[in-house]
Amino acid sequence: MVTIAEPVTKPGSRFRYILDRRGTLGAVFVAPAILYVLLLVGGPFLLAVYYSVSAYTIYDPSWRFVGLANFAQIVKNPVFLETLGNTFLFTFGSQLLGLILGKFGAFLLMRPFAGRKIVRALIILPWAVPIALASVAWEWMFDSLYSVINWSMIALGIINRSDAPNWLGNPHLAMLCVIIVNAWRFFPFAIVIFLAGITSVPQDIIDAATVDGAGFWRRNYQIVLPLILPIVAVGLIFGIVFTFTDLSIVYLLTNGGPVNATSVLGFRGFQVGIVSGDVSHGAAISLFMLPVLLIVVIVVLRFIRRREV
Amino acid sequence: MSTARPSSITRRRFLRDTSLALAAAGASPVLSAPFASRAMADTKTLTIVQWSHFVPAYDTWFDKFAKDWGEKNHIEVTVDHIPVQDVAARAAAEASAGSGHDLFGWNGAGGAHLYRKFLVDVTSLVESVEKKYGKITVIGRQIGYNQDDHTWSAFPDYYINFPVMYRKSLWDGIGMKPETWDDVRIGGAKLKQKGHPVGISLGHSNDPNTTWRGVLWSYGGAVQDEAGKHVVLDSKGSVEAVKFAAALYKEAMTSDVLSWSDASNNQYIDSGVSSLIINPISAYRTAQQLNKKVADDIFVMEPPKGPVRRLMGGASEFYGIWKFGKNQEAAIEFLKYYADHWIEAFKASSGYNNPIFANIVPKPMPLLSDDPTSTPRDKLAALQTSDEWSAVPGYPGPATPATDEVYNDFIICDMMAKAATGAMTAEDSVKWAAQQCEAILTKWQQKT
Repeated sequence: MVTIAEPVTKPGSRFRYILDRRGTLGAVFVAPAILYVLLLVGGPFLLAVYYSVSAYTIYDPSWRFVGLANFAQIVKNPVFLETLGNTFLFTFGSQLLGLILGKFGAFLLMRPFAGRKIVRALIILPWAVPIALASVAWEWMFDSLYSVINWSMIALGIINRSDAPNWLGNPHLAMLCVIIVNAWRFFPFAIVIFLAGITSVPQDIIDAATVDGAGFWRRNYQIVLPLILPIVAVGLIFGIVFTFTDLSIVYLLTNGGPVNATSVLGFRGFQVGIVSGDVSHGAAISLFMLPVLLIVVIVVLRFIRRREV
Repeated sequence: MSTARPSSITRRRFLRDTSLALAAAGASPVLSAPFASRAMADTKTLTIVQWSHFVPAYDTWFDKFAKDWGEKNHIEVTVDHIPVQDVAARAAAEASAGSGHDLFGWNGAGGAHLYRKFLVDVTSLVESVEKKYGKITVIGRQIGYNQDDHTWSAFPDYYINFPVMYRKSLWDGIGMKPETWDDVRIGGAKLKQKGHPVGISLGHSNDPNTTWRGVLWSYGGAVQDEAGKHVVLDSKGSVEAVKFAAALYKEAMTSDVLSWSDASNNQYIDSGVSSLIINPISAYRTAQQLNKKVADDIFVMEPPKGPVRRLMGGASEFYGIWKFGKNQEAAIEFLKYYADHWIEAFKASSGYNNPIFANIVPKPMPLLSDDPTSTPRDKLAALQTSDEWSAVPGYPGPATPATDEVYNDFIICDMMAKAATGAMTAEDSVKWAAQQCEAILTKWQQKT
């Protein structure tokens, strides 16, 4: 018979005892992340609220309460309303396109083919390349004088030089361009989401459906897609939040033009609040994103919960 | 045989080790600070930030000039260059943080008036340079002068003028010269038929902001009155200017101009396509390096005359000294020295930087009136009179945060573009722009 000696409890400090508790240790580990969010997200957010109800400007950096006057002023401006509409179009257009590209990309990458690993690595590039560099490349591709897209179409005899599309000069095409570039940036993320989702679907469910006579489309749209919708929805939340608040693509590619056709909330908030120095109105413009994003996030999260139930 | 037991990392040991490492990392600046601050105190420093000049040789000259001055005065000088479009955001960041460079070089609109409360009063510096090098020009006064208390928030360095650059052989071919805006439209329409359109941007960037203001002023329109108190944009002159812009777009230009950046019109004329652009001479200087045949055919003259006047926008460049700057005295001394050597700066920029003080570069200016790189050698002579035909955004009133916001919102460009593309009539477009300007002016009047 083996006798196990009772562990000798050494007299330890109170600090050591506290850290031995699982709950406390968990809180300690999570604290830096919470602190990070509070400082880098919560802080600026509260500051934006503080500025948006004031008359604060770079010219006169003293705080004076003006209530909701800044919001009332910006909603009267037709350019702001146009910007708000553009933001919705830009966000949901690019997310939809990104999701479609992501789904097809995931299906392609799941099939075995020579060089699949290289393609998988390359497909992450749009995500990894700095957006400033990528936008310059896209700007050249859409350039009115040197567009490689137009050059190729002319060379292939699809269009004449006189009919070549003015990608960034036509208001509708310019919006399409910023949507395409953002979808291009988002789709590797969508692929990852779809790949993770599809591979998590149990094979026996798919096999059973196949035995029951379900074809490719039915398996995908009546079995796989409903099962992975919660994962896709979480990815969509990220995509919507990041796109709705983004200004980089518009700033670098079109500067809000032509004639404000691609101006989005992030860009306009930056122009008014930082470049023009009217911090309070810039903050009010930026805060317009909050209720919209809040509603989107709540709706999507409720949807996910229902699906899971 | 010995069985070595792999060392296990317990939770407690992990915590102890990481906290020690973090404590050491955290304490290192505290421990090293006394030594570092003493070293900093021993070496005086002057930090400068300004845009990456469109004439790269100027940046090379300036960096060496600043470094040499620093060596003479035992001051370590660092010069940072940032893209022109980042200047405004950088200034906002430095002012908000209360920390940054000692000397801040602005480009274009904004700055001296908007950041007034953050900037050292440089009235005595400007006045001393004015005594030495003659009266400051009108455009110089608009840049950094505060009319209310007669002080200077910034030292006006130079401005960039926007002359006409046209392909002489093409215009000779139709027997015309772009003397007036009507000539540009009529001649441009003929040359467009031959595959050589006029190229004036209608996009969102500095060049169209500057050029279309010039057209507006030439037709008698303006955003604000002389006192800068009222918006006067909704006028007959403005409507005429917008009607002209719409006609010019339809008859003499292509829709490409709607998406252009500041580099596009340079490329347009340097590639041999365009018959005329309005731009600083960097376009011509670039052509001299890239396409000598086209460069020789590009001629430079004062901007076209409108029915009311001949006036074009100019881009202002100026230095401000932050109140929170650590070495304000060195910054002032550097600017004094810089003003005394300004003629070298003018040469280094190949005549791109235009003097602000009347006698700083005596006329005739050899670089412009007798340029050995140009054929003929007096090709750039018209630039010598640019003080007479240049103004900055607030014209005929002062530049203010409100006029800067009108500029930054591209309202004048959009006013022209809306009519040009047929989205609005000229009258409606002017009304729309006037409402936008009114809202901005009213808003800023409440704040200033």
